[in-house]
Amino acid sequence: MAEVRYENASRIYPGTDIPAVESLNLDIPDGELLVLVGPSGSGKSTALRMLAGLEFVDEGSVYINSEDVTLTPPQDRDIAMVFQNYALYPNMTVQANMGFALKQQGVAKPERAERVQEAARILDLEPYLDRKPKNLSGGQRQRVAMGRAIVRRPQVFLMDEPLSNLDAKLRVQTRTELADLQARLGVTTVYVTHDQVEAMTMGHRVAVLKDGILQQVDRPRTLYSRPVNLFVAGFIGSPAMNLVEAEAGGPDGVRLGTLALPLDEQVAHELAAREPGTYTLGVRPEHLQLASEGIAGEVTVVEELGSESYVHVAVEHQGGSLLLVVRAEGETMTQRGDNVQVSCRGPVHVFASNGERIGA
Amino acid sequence: MSQQTDRAEQVKRLQRREGWRRRLPLVPALLFTIVVTQVPFILSLWYSLTEWKIVPPEPRNFIGFDNYVDLLDNRFFREAVWTSVWMTVSAVLLSLLLGTLLAILLDRKFFGQGFVRTLLITPFLIMPVVAGLVWKTQVFNSSFGVLNWLLDSLGFERIEFVTRWPLWSIVSVLVWQWTPFMMLIVLAGLQGQDQSVLEAARVDGASSRAMFFQITLPQLRPYLELGILLGSIYLIQVFDYVDVITGGGPDSTNVPYFVFQRSIGGGWQFGQASAYSIVVVIASIVIATFGLRVLSNLLEGEKP
Repeated sequence: MAEVRYENASRIYPGTDIPAVESLNLDIPDGELLVLVGPSGSGKSTALRMLAGLEFVDEGSVYINSEDVTLTPPQDRDIAMVFQNYALYPNMTVQANMGFALKQQGVAKPERAERVQEAARILDLEPYLDRKPKNLSGGQRQRVAMGRAIVRRPQVFLMDEPLSNLDAKLRVQTRTELADLQARLGVTTVYVTHDQVEAMTMGHRVAVLKDGILQQVDRPRTLYSRPVNLFVAGFIGSPAMNLVEAEAGGPDGVRLGTLALPLDEQVAHELAAREPGTYTLGVRPEHLQLASEGIAGEVTVVEELGSESYVHVAVEHQGGSLLLVVRAEGETMTQRGDNVQVSCRGPVHVFASNGERIGA
Repeated sequence: MSQQTDRAEQVKRLQRREGWRRRLPLVPALLFTIVVTQVPFILSLWYSLTEWKIVPPEPRNFIGFDNYVDLLDNRFFREAVWTSVWMTVSAVLLSLLLGTLLAILLDRKFFGQGFVRTLLITPFLIMPVVAGLVWKTQVFNSSFGVLNWLLDSLGFERIEFVTRWPLWSIVSVLVWQWTPFMMLIVLAGLQGQDQSVLEAARVDGASSRAMFFQITLPQLRPYLELGILLGSIYLIQVFDYVDVITGGGPDSTNVPYFVFQRSIGGGWQFGQASAYSIVVVIASIVIATFGLRVLSNLLEGEKP
């Protein structure tokens, strides 16, 4: 049981000037599952490896349980890590793999066997204890990697894209199992993924990184409803938020062509105080709808998912063509080539030219 | 129905033609190999069943397996076998040990790594006869050798190394030449290791020592086996080093050299020598079969 803290932690890889992770500040309370998410090269894995001790911390510090571990070697940090490719020891059986860390700690054989058994029971690995990793399926290997971590009863779990080598269906299933397991064990967990759906569904809180800089850390819902900048707005949510450049500012509110867009009171208030100019508007697909009046456009693609469908509508905007993604009923009659009208019912996010959100 | 069998015939014919189209370019090389290796081998088989002396020329007599029976009684042959075994085993194991140590050092990053690696490989690039001569005349030699110069300047008495330890003199040259080979094989194994497995072991609390003996070494096993296999196959046939360094004599005549002595090297007993060489071939085949199994295991292990 432990809390984790990053304090202005930076990592600059030798031979480069640009930090892979730049002054990261994060407070992770005991028992939380925090997800680090970002596109590739965002520094999320580096941040995790800094906590593991596999990467040097060039500036700042890392604390586990308010103990400074910045310079502590990985073997003395009492952490367990699950790797993307699982990194199982190929020459050892499942049992030996899971017991390896305990063996290094000098735990006696009977206790070792007992704890491995216990973990194997939790993970349904009992029939495979005597197999070598190469004789296991991908899902089983993933569970062995998990087992190797939980056998140790560590202070912190570190998971580096543990599900990305599984097929889509198994990934969704394992995702829930993993979140459930973490909640039951109550071990502080830092989880890295590039998949924002995984981040939103699993994380108690989600930290979004871009180019080594932390953009926003918050509960998934807040991240979705109040993204602090353009990057978070575009990254979180699937399909992505519609982002449109438009003239705004001043007391006139925001318009998209002929369509007046609804704003939160606070956003409207702050926008009214600003200079008129070019702003980026963000509208979630579910806040747009096909209606009898609104902005006119032509349907280019209809993505039917069964429970809902996403209609791509090309509308005219500032002399060019603009593609809006609109959520519609599952059983929509709309087809490619239809002429439709799009209206907006939800609050619109507005971002200044530097990408910052307007209105907290 | 007849149409189906027709189709099956057609497919078979196409497959056969495709097979030949692939094999055809190999045929000249195959024929050449048969002419220069298999034909002499079959002739040797025949010679080994005869008594055949060339100097002075005598008619060839068929004597059955007498040559092979005599082998067992021949004290010199038994000694040659033991010398071969000692020479091969000690040279292979010592070069493997040294090669592994060097590979571990080379696996780390340091300034001038590429340069050092090239220097370490150089002995392997030298021709065996040249290596033998260099060691004999410039290292071991009692008047001009470096070793004796060293002994002399330290105030010790000079030693005629080659006369005193003929087997070990040859073995040290073999080790010097074969260490780079072993090093390269082990280095390939080390660099082929999955880095994240090593990281996992570190996070799991393994000390450097535990990591080497419990993770790295077991993973290197197929590479070590490969080194032993290839080394043994080459070193069991060593001839040039023996010829150049000691020119035979007790404790340094291995089986290939013995065969040479018995045939064109002065014995002129071609029937007997053929029988010896057949024994060497059989021994090599045994080792190679054993080894090929190891090799196929290695390749199998690389599949995920």
